[in-house]
Amino acid sequence: MQLGRIVKVLSWVFLVIPFLTGCWDRLEIEERAVVLAIAIDEVKPEAAKEERDVSHLSGEVPQSQKRMLRLTVQIAVPGRIPLGPAQGGGASGEKPVWILDVVGHTVEDAIYNLQQEVADRLFLGHLRVIVVNEKVARKGLQNMNDAFRRNPEIRRAAWMVISKGEAADIIKLNPELERVPALYLLTVLDGAVKQGKMPNAFLGVFWSALTSKGQEAYLPYVEIQEQKSILLAGLAYFRGDKMVGTTTPLEIGHFMAMKGINPGGYSALSDVPGESGAVLFISSDRTAKIEVEIKNGLPHAKVKVHIEGDLAEKSNAQFNLKDPKTIAKIEKRIGTKAGKAFEELIHKTQKQGSDILGIGEIVRGKHSAYWNQSIKTMDKWQETYKEIPVRAEVTISIRRVGMKAE
Amino acid sequence: METPREITVLQAAIILISTIIGVGVLALPRIAVLAGDTGAPLITLLGILLAFFGLVMITLLGMRFPSQSLIRYSEVILGKPIARFGSIVIIVFFAVLTALTSREFGEVVITSVLRRTPLEVTVIVMLLLAVITTRNDITTFAYIHHFYSPLILTPVILIVILSLKNAEVVRLLPIWGNEPNGMFLGVLTVAALFQGFFILTMIIPAMRRPDRAMTASIWGMAIAGGLYLIIVIATLAVFGAEEVKLLLWPTLELAKTTSLPANILERLDAAFLAVWVTAVFTTLFSSYFLMIHAATELFQLRNHRMFSLFFLPFVFIIAMLPDNVLEMYKLIEIVGRFGLLITVVYPTILWMVALIRKKRGKSHAARKNR
Repeated sequence: MQLGRIVKVLSWVFLVIPFLTGCWDRLEIEERAVVLAIAIDEVKPEAAKEERDVSHLSGEVPQSQKRMLRLTVQIAVPGRIPLGPAQGGGASGEKPVWILDVVGHTVEDAIYNLQQEVADRLFLGHLRVIVVNEKVARKGLQNMNDAFRRNPEIRRAAWMVISKGEAADIIKLNPELERVPALYLLTVLDGAVKQGKMPNAFLGVFWSALTSKGQEAYLPYVEIQEQKSILLAGLAYFRGDKMVGTTTPLEIGHFMAMKGINPGGYSALSDVPGESGAVLFISSDRTAKIEVEIKNGLPHAKVKVHIEGDLAEKSNAQFNLKDPKTIAKIEKRIGTKAGKAFEELIHKTQKQGSDILGIGEIVRGKHSAYWNQSIKTMDKWQETYKEIPVRAEVTISIRRVGMKAE
Repeated sequence: METPREITVLQAAIILISTIIGVGVLALPRIAVLAGDTGAPLITLLGILLAFFGLVMITLLGMRFPSQSLIRYSEVILGKPIARFGSIVIIVFFAVLTALTSREFGEVVITSVLRRTPLEVTVIVMLLLAVITTRNDITTFAYIHHFYSPLILTPVILIVILSLKNAEVVRLLPIWGNEPNGMFLGVLTVAALFQGFFILTMIIPAMRRPDRAMTASIWGMAIAGGLYLIIVIATLAVFGAEEVKLLLWPTLELAKTTSLPANILERLDAAFLAVWVTAVFTTLFSSYFLMIHAATELFQLRNHRMFSLFFLPFVFIIAMLPDNVLEMYKLIEIVGRFGLLITVVYPTILWMVALIRKKRGKSHAARKNR
């Protein structure tokens, strides 16, 4: 009987053992090459010679993919990513990231080429920023979008930005504020969103706008300033998957105002009618509404924006703010000027047929009979958008004037 | 052979909810949007109503024959030969449904999380889990569902609410869709995602108060359907119709885009998948349970345990049949739509014939007084 019990216990043990072995896909953190940022540049087709045959035989590349891309990646070095403030110089000599570059015909091709020269498995789950050279973006992002959409590790909340000049330079930049370059770039973007300098246009938002029939996509446009810092130089706007133009930094504010995105982070210097001074107005809160009417077979759009804000500066002591008429005059003045500036931005995008405001979406949603009859496709809307009249109407409310009484 | 009458109305409703919510939740927004653009919520609603109609039929039949399941009372209504044929079709259908559910589960897992684990392993592990748990009786069955249901419901609702931060109302307009081309087929496919409700026919004979089964049906369908509907609405409002068409599993992408406030979790897809695995398990558990109990009753056996292992190889082989993920979805659509004949049309016919032939089971009260 005793033997029987032992056999019973043993068989239980053997049954349980397979369940204790853990995970099939176990991958320790130090066995991963964590990619923090990717920069995509275009290189001359001759660069193909640099490439070894990893994911295709040489010469056997589809004709449409003859162009070459250069991927520059930032890989986090395990153990050297500082968690918190750097402690007294100790590890300052060691770089927390490893920067590598590789060429390939497509994004995935380049990533496989890269894997061939990196010991650990590349892990894209922590990829935070993708920087794309303007030249690549102007030729179209179709390939990149497809590769990044398919890869399950890529997060939709990652950023994609367009760079003026070499994208690799932005990745290689060594900022003073952060030890990890990719994280600095991330802080620049996140900070800009929090301060109201930029819409929260992460990859997922970009993709949704890109596929929408009645809206075109936009991405942040960055530029290196004196080899040291990264300037948020505007928005790059697209038509389909091809970049067609950029805005100025102030126009980001105009765009955000028309979309009613808060908080407001831009200011406007304005003259005061009838007086010789100028005032600086800072927007803090805005509400916007885009109204579309169909007249004579063409949509007429009216963008109604209301901006609330404060006075931050008055350059001349000649006039007094205590007079309620002065405030009203200033409000009106800023309103008309803003309205004009908004319309200018719209005209600029209209020339390229790039409806970043999404007026087409409103036509599709609220005037679906018209849309189904005469628009239907994205291409048709891009053409129609060039011709539609758009008006902007801005009202301003100055709520506070700071700590100075007059 | 008396089944213990221990299942309450609440438990019955919960079994319905956790059976219905399953693998389908990941692909549902894509299926609905492909059929009707921005009309997806409308299609989902119509699908829910169609499924609810089938559920009402099952419930009415169950209340008419409170101590028998469909396998038994169909014999009373239609006569043995026809009813037995019907029952065999039901068993085969649920075997295929179980197989496809486990296959879809496997595909999601190896595409998005465990990329190096073989498909066969994920599928067989899940099936084995279902096999082992179905060896229990119906009371344990109810308790298992009861235990998991809050784990399934709360995180899904949380993700939907948090994701609405990125939503835009204009993406839901117009509510009937710009190009509603496949509306009718879409409604059928969506309704097919609810076929788990068929389990109710096995539960009613074990309910404490079969006369209140309708309450359970209404609540079960309202909650499961409501959840599916808000998932479709949230996905559509966040991504827009055209983007949803490009995503194989929009609901998973929704979880991936959503983050908990204050940087606690930057992407919720891991948390969501954990929940979803539970939801898939409860669904598989129910359909497997239904299958083996139907077989037990058809062959009039005393004990269902024998069948639980017996069906495993068949189900596994069917699960391995589709060549790739796209073919699998094609198959799921076809099988699902065909299944509506079994889960909606067949009960309706049974109910009408029962009315005409004035067949009725022994009432619950009468049985009690006996």
